[in-house]
Amino acid sequence: MNKDGFYALRIHPIVFMGIVTIVCVSILSALYLSTQDRVEANELFFLRRSVLDAAGITHDGTVDAVQSLYETSVTETDGKYRIDGNEDSPVTVVERTGPGLWGPITVMIGFSSPQVLSGISIVSQNETPGLGARIEEPWFTAQFAGKTGPFLLVEEGTSDASNEVDAITGATRTSRYFRDIVNSVVSDGPSIYGGQ
Amino acid sequence: MAKGIYKKTFMAPLGKDNPVFVQILGICSTLAVTNRLDNTLVMSLGVIFTLALSSFTISIMRSWIPSRIRMMVETMVIATFVIIVDITLKAFYPEMWKSLGPYVGLIITNCIVMGRIEAFALQNKPSLSLVDGIASGIGYAYVLLIIAFVRELMGTGTLFGFTILGDWWTSWAIMIMPPGGFFMLAIFIWIAKEAFMKEATS
Repeated sequence: MNKDGFYALRIHPIVFMGIVTIVCVSILSALYLSTQDRVEANELFFLRRSVLDAAGITHDGTVDAVQSLYETSVTETDGKYRIDGNEDSPVTVVERTGPGLWGPITVMIGFSSPQVLSGISIVSQNETPGLGARIEEPWFTAQFAGKTGPFLLVEEGTSDASNEVDAITGATRTSRYFRDIVNSVVSDGPSIYGGQ
Repeated sequence: MAKGIYKKTFMAPLGKDNPVFVQILGICSTLAVTNRLDNTLVMSLGVIFTLALSSFTISIMRSWIPSRIRMMVETMVIATFVIIVDITLKAFYPEMWKSLGPYVGLIITNCIVMGRIEAFALQNKPSLSLVDGIASGIGYAYVLLIIAFVRELMGTGTLFGFTILGDWWTSWAIMIMPPGGFFMLAIFIWIAKEAFMKEATS
């Protein structure tokens, strides 16, 4: 075979690349298909856990506990999650996505009345690790529970009134974006909560 | 003699040929993931895995790869291993996968992987390339872990998420922000070069 011939220079590289591509893609497809069920189960688990967190229902975080609690207490209707608690008034949870500092932030927000929040949980965010990403920390999301919007941001560690929440030191802009997302949902509170 | 080559190949990336502080490769990920130790550890394991297996695979294929398209083939092989890491994390360690975000995919663009393949795996036999890949990965990993240790400890007062320093410690927010990464990397390279590599640089 001529080393500089048409075949060696033009055809062979294309055929070779084609074969490499087919082999690589086959391996990845097989891996993807074999883990698909697991990945979907994980996503469902995260979704259900954030609904329970937003509704203020305590759980131990295990897969079985989340699944059984969710199935016994939550009913889904047109994108809303309704939890008819035993003693408390019913809770409605909605998912909402809004802009963050680096990318969209998706939250689950629960209402225990048209104005009062039962809790907030973060579904996804891309904020700065260690600063803005602290919106995922329990102390930050927990401070919305039982409070009435629209919310005002105050310095970290000084929130007092029922419409004040602590901002995160070093993540002023993420805090503001987050407040705006929450407040836009709060302004829809009456239609979300009462709109059955 | 053969044994000597393996040992030399293994030791070089740990010290005088370190990919991070001598070759200054893979800096972007060094700066990006080192603000927390657990992210750093998983990232390092991902890089070691990708680096070792892509060096090995390319080395096996090296006599058949047409030289004009070798970079395309290398990228394809690297990308395959990176996506294997990504899918595995997504399926079995979803919490970790969520917290690493896009960084796992960015292993593809880590210059160390491509650099070691181009500089080493294309000229050497598979077993030696595997050793080089693992050693380069470890050389990358320990530098990152040292930097992450300091950054997480000073930036948040924790290690692996556990509180180490008490309430008296005021967290240095700058350490976990990008500038902290630049400062720490520069200081690390300075100390490493001054302390261990005097003769090499003079």
